[in-house]
Amino acid sequence: MHNNLITTAVGSYPKPPHLMEARAKAARAQISRDELMDLEKKATEHWIRLQEDLDMDILVDGEMYRGDMATYFAENLEGMDISGLVRSYGNRYYRKPVATGAIKRPKAITVDWWKYSQSLTDRPVKGMLTGPYTIADWSFDEHFGSREAFVLNLARVINEEARDLQAAGCRYIQIDEPAASTRPEEMALVAEGLRVSTEGLDAVTITHICYGDFATVFDGILTLPVDVLDLEMANSDYHLLEYFEDKKTDKILALGVFDVHHHAPESIEAMEAGIERALNVLPGKQIWVTPDCGLKTRTEEESMAKLKNMMQATNNVRARRGLS
Amino acid sequence: MLTTTVGNYPKIGGKAPNLRAAKNRLDRGETSPEEVARIADEVTKEVLQEQIDAGVDLVTDGQIRWDDGQTYFARGMTGFSIKGLTRYFDNNTYYRQPVVEGKIGWSSPISTDHFTFASGNSSKPVKAILTGPYSLGRLSVLEAGYEGLGPLVLDLAEALNNEALALQKAGASIIQFDEPCILRHPEDIDLFLEASERVVRGLTVKTAVYTYFADASKVADGLLRSPFLIIGLDFASSDGNWQVVEKFPADKELGFGIVNGRNTGLETADQIAQACQRVMQHVPQDRLYVNPNSGLEYLPREKAQQKLERLVEGVNKAREVVRA
Repeated sequence: MHNNLITTAVGSYPKPPHLMEARAKAARAQISRDELMDLEKKATEHWIRLQEDLDMDILVDGEMYRGDMATYFAENLEGMDISGLVRSYGNRYYRKPVATGAIKRPKAITVDWWKYSQSLTDRPVKGMLTGPYTIADWSFDEHFGSREAFVLNLARVINEEARDLQAAGCRYIQIDEPAASTRPEEMALVAEGLRVSTEGLDAVTITHICYGDFATVFDGILTLPVDVLDLEMANSDYHLLEYFEDKKTDKILALGVFDVHHHAPESIEAMEAGIERALNVLPGKQIWVTPDCGLKTRTEEESMAKLKNMMQATNNVRARRGLS
Repeated sequence: MLTTTVGNYPKIGGKAPNLRAAKNRLDRGETSPEEVARIADEVTKEVLQEQIDAGVDLVTDGQIRWDDGQTYFARGMTGFSIKGLTRYFDNNTYYRQPVVEGKIGWSSPISTDHFTFASGNSSKPVKAILTGPYSLGRLSVLEAGYEGLGPLVLDLAEALNNEALALQKAGASIIQFDEPCILRHPEDIDLFLEASERVVRGLTVKTAVYTYFADASKVADGLLRSPFLIIGLDFASSDGNWQVVEKFPADKELGFGIVNGRNTGLETADQIAQACQRVMQHVPQDRLYVNPNSGLEYLPREKAQQKLERLVEGVNKAREVVRA
């Protein structure tokens, strides 16, 4: 584990084509759930090995067993149903959840997967949860009639899951809130949702936020009750760094250094320049280096090309600056 | 009292060939752009018929070929490039942001072929829809070519005026401009009005401006004296427009957005009928278009269809009361 410019990924990796086919077959009951899980485990191990080979500091399991990040949790919760396909952009669709009643967690959702992936490696594996505000924001509400009640019910459920992850030995727990920047007037609700979600945790907590009008919500983002803020930066040409210049913060910035929506890798030089810009604002101990977002929409080859450049850029900067 | 739709409609989920699968095949090089276009035609026909079968009086082509309201027009003009994904309002829907890199130019019609196709395949009149100049400018990134948003919006108004005139020539009897952005920027109301005057210049057909995702209370005075005959207001996202409609001008017509296009919870026919009766206290029924608050593509297909059926059922109930 490095002391400076710790490297990690945001969450998802691409599923291999044979796993995509197997998921479709399992949905049509043409193969068993056990057969599918066997393939998901193999794909998880594949990504753990690739991340070790890249020498990344904190690993993720790649979410081989998840579809959409909000729908996956909704599928495992009482009080939530799944509706039909809704387009999110371009030709991408997801099955949007629907709140139909009070939300409960019948049993732990991600803990067995975390234990499995952590058993494969000596490096720390992050526990990956979707935040209550985002699950609520990305769902239809046919029950609560109040965004606050919806978010806080989910927050209590996510907190149960986070505590179970910690009890299993997880030291890094990421609670993603990509929707956090959607409505500036609801930043207090995002924060309250995260506060409830992280209650009683002493693991390092992380949240990932993307796609937004950060300018209007930046002060709010800085006060979110987590240790690490993971923000997409490359997609907006690192403009966000300007906001860090005149703020004092103890938070760690996980710096997104490449756009995940393009096929071609960004150059090592461009990523180095991005990291250097961040180092002008924050010390190396307060910077993690990551992709802008999850990589599930890329292929393995595209992801690896981008990640190799990210690692090379990070190592170049460490060497140049004498950072350990 | 006529029923209409506001714009987009779910692209998949019907009986026509699956457009999503076709686009995926195109990505993999397994089919041709012509085949995808042919399937988009099939889906468009089906979507037109679905609206007609639901009993909608004035239909749209469902914008089946549009990725979104911005790039559809920006790609057809000069001066734009297309950039990274960004969120579309407070929806879990994203679009590639147009970037203004130079002077905006319009050389040939962008949407008339699609309009002509839809008209030729519909037994009900088809409404032509354009993204309004203010919203197209506001949802783009200005990098070069203009000093600020103002001159950009006025040039976009010229370009979109050419497009609207081409649609009029192609036989459109009603042309709608979508201007959701003005609700959030009351400081730009004068610019909006100047651009609106330009964009309708030379139009002799009925014009509409539709706003959605918020109420118009901050811009009501300007919006209600804009040069469009029909003013579309959103009564589903919040209650604010009930105040706006109290001073609705006698020479305008109202696009009454009463069904929520962004939540699966179905309104009852009685609720819709009562809302229609309530709005008729301020706007006479022969000046009313009843419609969803926004496009319906935020819903799964079967919910969109059910919402339209309810809408028509509710309006029919209200019509009976008027007759009685």
